[in-house]
Amino acid sequence: MTDKKIFGITALFNDPNAIFAAAKKVADAGFSKWDVNSPYPIHGIDKAMKMKPSKLGIVTLIFGLSGAALALILMWWTMSVDYPMIIGGKPYFSLPAFIPVTFEVTVIMATLSTVVAMFAFFFALPRNDHALHDTVYMKKVSRDHYGIVIEAIDPKFDEHATLQFLKDLKPLSTEIIYFPQKENYPIFEPRFIALLVGVAVVVSIGTYLMLNKLMYIVPFDWMEKQAKVIPQSGSEFFADGRGMRLPVEGTVAKGYIPYPFEGETNPTEVLSNPFIPTKENLELGQKKYLTYCSPCHGNYGDGDSRLAGQFPNPPTLHSDRGRNFSDGMIYHIITVGQNVMPSYASQVTRDERWAIVNYIRALQRAKNATDSDLKFVKAE
Amino acid sequence: MSTDYSVEAPVVAGRLTIAQIEELVAKPMDTKPDKKFYLALTISGSALLIGAVCLLYTFYYGIGMWGNNQPVGWGFGIVNFVFWVGIGHAGTLISAILFLLRQKWRTGIARFAEAMTIFAVMCAGIFPIIHTGRPWLAGYLTPYPNQHGLWVNFTSPLVWDVFAVSVYFTVSLVFWYTGLIPDFATLRDRTTSKIKKTIYSIFSLGWRHSSRHWLHYEKAYVILAGFATPLVLSVHTIVSFDFAVSIMPGWHTTIFPPYFVAGAIFSGFAMVVTVLVFVRKIFDLQNIITIDHLEKMNKVILATGMMVGYAYGMEFFIAWYSGVQFEQFAFLNRMLGPYAWAYWIMVSCNVFFPQFFWFKKIRRSIPAMIVIVLFVNVGMWFERFVIVVTSLHRDFLPSSWGMFTPTLYDIGILLGSFGLFFTLVILFTKALPVVSIAEVKAVADGAQPTHHRGEHHD
Amino acid sequence: MHNNELTYQRKDLPSSISKIGMTLLVVGIILGVAAFFVDHTRAVYNYLVAFTFMISIGVGALFLIALEYIVGADWSVPIRRVVEFFAAIIPLLALLVIPLLLNVGELFHWSHADAIAEDEILRAKAPYLNVTFFIIRVFILIGLWSLFYFFFIRNSKKQDTTKDQKFTTKNIRLSAIFIPVFAITITIAAVDWLMSIEPHWFSTIIGVYFFAGTVIAALAAVTLATVILKENGYLHPAMTNDHLYSLGALLFAFVNFWGYIAFSQYMLIWYADLPEETFWFLQKWEGSWAIFSIGLIIIKFLVPYIVLVSQPSKMDPKKLKFISVWLLFAHLYDLFWLVMPEMEELSGGYSFSWIDLVFPIAAVGLIILVFNMKAKRENLIPIGDPKLQRGLDFHL
Repeated sequence: MTDKKIFGITALFNDPNAIFAAAKKVADAGFSKWDVNSPYPIHGIDKAMKMKPSKLGIVTLIFGLSGAALALILMWWTMSVDYPMIIGGKPYFSLPAFIPVTFEVTVIMATLSTVVAMFAFFFALPRNDHALHDTVYMKKVSRDHYGIVIEAIDPKFDEHATLQFLKDLKPLSTEIIYFPQKENYPIFEPRFIALLVGVAVVVSIGTYLMLNKLMYIVPFDWMEKQAKVIPQSGSEFFADGRGMRLPVEGTVAKGYIPYPFEGETNPTEVLSNPFIPTKENLELGQKKYLTYCSPCHGNYGDGDSRLAGQFPNPPTLHSDRGRNFSDGMIYHIITVGQNVMPSYASQVTRDERWAIVNYIRALQRAKNATDSDLKFVKAE
Repeated sequence: MSTDYSVEAPVVAGRLTIAQIEELVAKPMDTKPDKKFYLALTISGSALLIGAVCLLYTFYYGIGMWGNNQPVGWGFGIVNFVFWVGIGHAGTLISAILFLLRQKWRTGIARFAEAMTIFAVMCAGIFPIIHTGRPWLAGYLTPYPNQHGLWVNFTSPLVWDVFAVSVYFTVSLVFWYTGLIPDFATLRDRTTSKIKKTIYSIFSLGWRHSSRHWLHYEKAYVILAGFATPLVLSVHTIVSFDFAVSIMPGWHTTIFPPYFVAGAIFSGFAMVVTVLVFVRKIFDLQNIITIDHLEKMNKVILATGMMVGYAYGMEFFIAWYSGVQFEQFAFLNRMLGPYAWAYWIMVSCNVFFPQFFWFKKIRRSIPAMIVIVLFVNVGMWFERFVIVVTSLHRDFLPSSWGMFTPTLYDIGILLGSFGLFFTLVILFTKALPVVSIAEVKAVADGAQPTHHRGEHHD
Repeated sequence: MHNNELTYQRKDLPSSISKIGMTLLVVGIILGVAAFFVDHTRAVYNYLVAFTFMISIGVGALFLIALEYIVGADWSVPIRRVVEFFAAIIPLLALLVIPLLLNVGELFHWSHADAIAEDEILRAKAPYLNVTFFIIRVFILIGLWSLFYFFFIRNSKKQDTTKDQKFTTKNIRLSAIFIPVFAITITIAAVDWLMSIEPHWFSTIIGVYFFAGTVIAALAAVTLATVILKENGYLHPAMTNDHLYSLGALLFAFVNFWGYIAFSQYMLIWYADLPEETFWFLQKWEGSWAIFSIGLIIIKFLVPYIVLVSQPSKMDPKKLKFISVWLLFAHLYDLFWLVMPEMEELSGGYSFSWIDLVFPIAAVGLIILVFNMKAKRENLIPIGDPKLQRGLDFHL
């Protein structure tokens, strides 16, 4: 096997003092690509090997500070910009209450980054195909020996000279380490593909069952099944099978006042407007008019329905007939309906109906304004 | 009694060689488990199973299965949570704070204590999640941009808890795993089984015991310890905030943060001693986990026990001194009210019994310390019970006063948490090295170069 | 490499030290007496600040001695005498407290019978907060501290000549008793001197808060003296910067601890927002006190934290000298912040007066003088301590 490539030469010791002295000599000889392996850290070996102090702290500092900043920015944005809420009478951005979370995020960022950076970037681990693995040397330094390895890529490396150099350090033994033969890992092996397919099938079935079956089983069903009666549902408890109960016969709702003019055509004499058209009252009337009346009567009472012929258009409110209706008449029409117009008694309260009447009066006045009215407006 | 102070006491007893240390620690992993192992596993597994059944019932029928009521809305769930988080403090304390204080005796017990931390935090983490009744929705506790457009309330101590406990768990796990990597490498190089070798290779990440790596590794260890130390304080501090930021009499006291931390270390050390006493016997580790180490642990238990006692006293004094009737009532009610029995269990177990550790003979006697640490474990559980239940059951309004009685499900789940903890501990003793091989090797006699000390001067 | 025979040569401190101390003390006393005539109340309050500062240095140092024995530390043995010299101020506290006791009425609202009569809360507290019991407590505290100081020092001194290990054992036992006593006494001191000047306010953590500051002050004093003595060759030549590292690390730890305790106290009171507690912090937010309050965070936590956070700076003599002076000031500032806003005249905000500077000068002068006096009489290194060689061999 002459085509084997040399990784390096190792020397074993079994005394911490010996390895300490040997490491000094190797460092003094000017080697750069070499290492000391020991089952535990030897105090002071870093100085003997002339290694620089670890720079790992920089990673910790950077990630720790960014963790703190990240946490604070997130809390500031969520608690005082995106969803501001007053909690316990405290300001949106209450720093003392944010300190615990800031601290925790700082710690997690700093520690994880340190460990990950150390293993992945400082050491280039995981790496199980390194030439030193599975050698007698590795087994010994893993247990209770101390070893020096000088790698072949060192500029001062020379197979025979270096071997002799290491032997002069009086080690227990020396060994030449070769690179291992590369192994192949065939990806398209049928067994591997079958495994992949199997995993895919199991995952798919599992996901399907999870989302379509499990989520509908108690107690995962978002409280869909409850012991209470849900509106509109039936009940086996009551004889009539209704879940929602009817009021007892003859019940009168709180605040109910009967309307005695039902069926009459013109109850004008007794119905008079109790509200004067103040600004508030007109605004209420406008709001209710636009909500309930304008779909058919139009925004200005012109009878220009927005329903686009799906329903017969009502006449304009600005006709002479409409303008000559008394307040009471309009109120009466809203309350009981007229022709195809149904009663709006259940939608608008009595006070709101009078406000609508006032608003209609204002519309009628505006649509038929005289010059004197204009003067009045201008004077305002 | 005549200690020679001029020489440092050896950390590893029995003049073990480095290879012997490795043999001792690796033995449980090289041998097949015996009957006693399976027996222990059966017992702890049964407890775990009982807990699991009670938990399933709770999930199906809801939290109504528990004893929680109005006004005691926080029952066993929170008591057990705080208890287990407290237990989980010893490990990181031993591995981080004692590391920074350069206490070499920590090497023998650090690994085990860290493992116990992780298992205890797992037990603890269960309770806040299950006490919501719908643990599968726990994801809402993390702040993420969700479809509701809602964020978690970062000013709530319960959210701080989520952060503190999950960060603590992660960092403890990372700390533990970082410490395990060189040991995995050692196990990888000594095993003859091919499957074991593959597993160890994966977990060792291909560690090569390189001094160039050790340099950064030790630095990382210092950094991790430096962060874990304030972290361990912060976790129980935040747990104490759960109570202390409220205006509940008996909860709102400014000494709560350091008092909770001291109590956590107290209970954690007690649990570590409880378990280590058996582990060192069963696995023949008397020379690595020596009686000196246990004595030092007992001293820490004595010290923290007195800190807890100080906090009890201070709370009482200030309750009187403050002149606030609610506070005064809350504390008198603890001492003399319907839960006085729990209070006196707490005081006698936490303050009175540890005083026996003033005597060196008791500190070094295995049976005596087992009894005392068991008392401490019980006492610390009752401390949390007293804090949670006695404050809540007597509200500001006498009309809403009530009592709390745990149901069988409460007790079953508590038992289950012990089952989970001990099952994990038992499995751990067989699966991983219970003592850090690399660290103990490094403090063995003759492990370090003798002339190192003069090194700085020449 | 080690020489087991200790080659320690006693050196006297230069006479300039006693001159500096004497000058500071005399100037301080003259100005202090003048201050009592100019503004009596302000002088009393300032005297209280200086007095609690001296408690911190003395009793804090005694605690550090006990701590060394109880944890079996070896690195601190070569500098234990420095700590002991700072503790030497303890017996003097019995004298130093007299001006305060003469002015109890000026300091403490609860000492007035008419104030108690019209205040229900004070009436309830009267069994604890009354002048007789207060004075008894003061002398019990100072008596206990002096007693422990006396025993610790006697054992330590005897060991210099006899080299008997039993004195170490004795002091370890003494420490075990002292530490619980210390915890209780320092709490009573904090409640009596710092909390009861606002007799309506209460906080269970106040003892721990004062303890944290006390240890910072004592450690800072020890660090400063150690660095200066070491630089000028008064300590053992085998001592390295690794010893300083331990001091730096402890300072860093206690700065963090203080920050933690201070934050815990503030956070809980701020969050719960109960009127019977919050008013105390609001008082420290009146007018220019707000600047003092923010300054406290920066001076006592942020600056020392940033200076000490990196490993090399914990063993850098220059930085340690700077930060220990800074922390001594910070502790004084902390006490000032605790005490002065309670003065009725200053309750709306701070206004400068030369009186505020006088008493710290006298206190520093006195501490230097006492230190120097002890250093003249005793060895600067506990040459008989069995752990001394271990301590000198200490390396990171």
